[in-house]
Amino acid sequence: MDIFGYIISLSFLAQVLRLFTPYYLGASAANFSERGGVINIAIEGFMITSAFCYALFAVLTGNVLLSLFLAVTINILFSLLYSAFTIKLKINQIVTGVGFNLLMAGLAKFIMMLIFRSSSNTPRIESLPHIPFIADMPGIGKVLADYIIIFTFLLVPISQYLIYKTKFGLRLRSAGENPAAAESLGVNVRNYKLYGVMLSGFLSALAGIWLASNQNSFSDGMIAGRGYIAIAAMIIGKWKPWNIFWACIMFAAFEAFEISLQISGINFPSQLLQMLPYLITVLVLIGFIGKTKPPAADGIPY
Amino acid sequence: MELRLKNKLRENIISITISLILTLFITSVIILLIGKNPFDIFGIIISEVFGSGYGLGQALFKATPLIITGSALAICFHASLFNIGAEGQLNLGAFVMSLAAFYFSALPAYLLFPVVIILGFAVSAFWGYIPAIIKIKKGVSEVITTIMMNFIAMALINFLLIEFFAVKSTVRTEKIADWIMIPKLSAYFQFFQGSSVNLTFFIALALAFAVYFMLYKTKFGYYIKAVGFNETAAKYIGIKNNRIMLLSFLIGSGLTSLVGLNFVLGYKGYYEFGFSNNLGFTAIAVALLAKNNPIGIIFTSLLFGMLDYGGLTVNTVIPKEIMFVVQAVVILSILSVDKIVNNYFQSKD
Repeated sequence: MDIFGYIISLSFLAQVLRLFTPYYLGASAANFSERGGVINIAIEGFMITSAFCYALFAVLTGNVLLSLFLAVTINILFSLLYSAFTIKLKINQIVTGVGFNLLMAGLAKFIMMLIFRSSSNTPRIESLPHIPFIADMPGIGKVLADYIIIFTFLLVPISQYLIYKTKFGLRLRSAGENPAAAESLGVNVRNYKLYGVMLSGFLSALAGIWLASNQNSFSDGMIAGRGYIAIAAMIIGKWKPWNIFWACIMFAAFEAFEISLQISGINFPSQLLQMLPYLITVLVLIGFIGKTKPPAADGIPY
Repeated sequence: MELRLKNKLRENIISITISLILTLFITSVIILLIGKNPFDIFGIIISEVFGSGYGLGQALFKATPLIITGSALAICFHASLFNIGAEGQLNLGAFVMSLAAFYFSALPAYLLFPVVIILGFAVSAFWGYIPAIIKIKKGVSEVITTIMMNFIAMALINFLLIEFFAVKSTVRTEKIADWIMIPKLSAYFQFFQGSSVNLTFFIALALAFAVYFMLYKTKFGYYIKAVGFNETAAKYIGIKNNRIMLLSFLIGSGLTSLVGLNFVLGYKGYYEFGFSNNLGFTAIAVALLAKNNPIGIIFTSLLFGMLDYGGLTVNTVIPKEIMFVVQAVVILSILSVDKIVNNYFQSKD
């Protein structure tokens, strides 16, 4: 296969958009939480939980929409628990995040073994429905007809508007930048932090659900660090929706390129490409590439 | 001051006890929910672990890397440095140890062991040096950088294995010579027959005591705690904060490499990709539960080691994966109970 011909093809574009979706949903999840001043490094765990719950309920009920609803609900319940730890009890957010990651990954492994007697994957499940007719378009149809992918693209301008142009966004940002000042102006800071974390639970749920639906199963290790890449994209994107969008597109393009190299059989060490998102993030943090600065009160309990 | 320390100790004992009871309770509820009797399960674990030298040996073997990594991380945590990067640091260290032990096997033993340990330590410490220096020079939180460094380390090791060092169609390095292996305890005590526990267990114990001594009985340890407690105040009493931070990060991440002694030199004879199985994160739990006190870490590691091996023994009754859940519940209960107990005593004062 001609690798350069492939890169400018529609199917490469479709691949990039597919890989982009969970990244942007995850990064956006991390961003809403951090805009309110709560660091959520458990995005990975949240994605695992929702992917697993979606697959679990899809196998048990056979109804994908009900499964979607249940998986989102469970993730939001976990985000409430996360809020209880970090906002109500003001426990260190990093350690809480590490604990949640271990808990959520562990629960998925345990319940999968318990119910399916398999440490690797669930039985096959149905995909979420696509928009009819468009899905039949060759190459890119399946992507353009995917409700979650469409939502993810709409999410970019929506979050831009929400964060910068609405009362909600202003208050959310104030909770993350200067909670004491916000409180003195009558903003209920803790509530806004809670909303941020709940949005985080909701969006990371969509990321996990989409991955499971797209793969037609849940398998152990399928999230494969995407939750962390999402956090990396948020940092590189400087906590701004459009910048995050471009960071996610970049990471998705790297990955699509890596996959196409593997398919084409060109001998190139793919681990070096897998390393790139993390390496770039470190370089950005050092200040070699651009400058990035988190919300002023990010990570500080209030 | 004396009274406050005593109260602190009382609070710690209360909160650790409550959180262990809470964990036991939550675990029992989970076991009940799936229709099994928790007492049966706990019974099996206790009789399997304490009923034979093999079981006890396996629990000690599982506890060994936790004692090492937990004590190492305690140094960072006392300086208020959130080193989430132990996973990458210890993997690199163990990887380099296996290579050094293989390629330098022509050296006499009195040179080989120091070389292996120093190289492993140096590589792990270097991996900790990067986030530390970024924090000091650029003020960037070590949390995100250590997380990123974990992934870079694992990808790097994977790359080096596949391209250069792995035995064909495996993800492990060449096996080192038998004479380099650290003796198993069963070589001295028939009692431990068959189990993998080796002399590294005693090295781990010695390390925990040494770290305890350093943290609580030396000036350097005092500086570390001062920086961790209040950076500004530490600066005003003349402590060079940056130097202390850098040193504690270097020592902390460097020491994680010693898990290579247990796995590579004491057990398998080679480095295998994925051997650590989240050790770097479990060790955070072990250290937290012990309030970053290395002597306490010995006990919490033994508890986790027991759970780890115990999970295997009950696998036929209940999936061993439950131990992942139990370990996470331990972390979350100590975090929450600790805070609640703390708030309670503060409101009483």
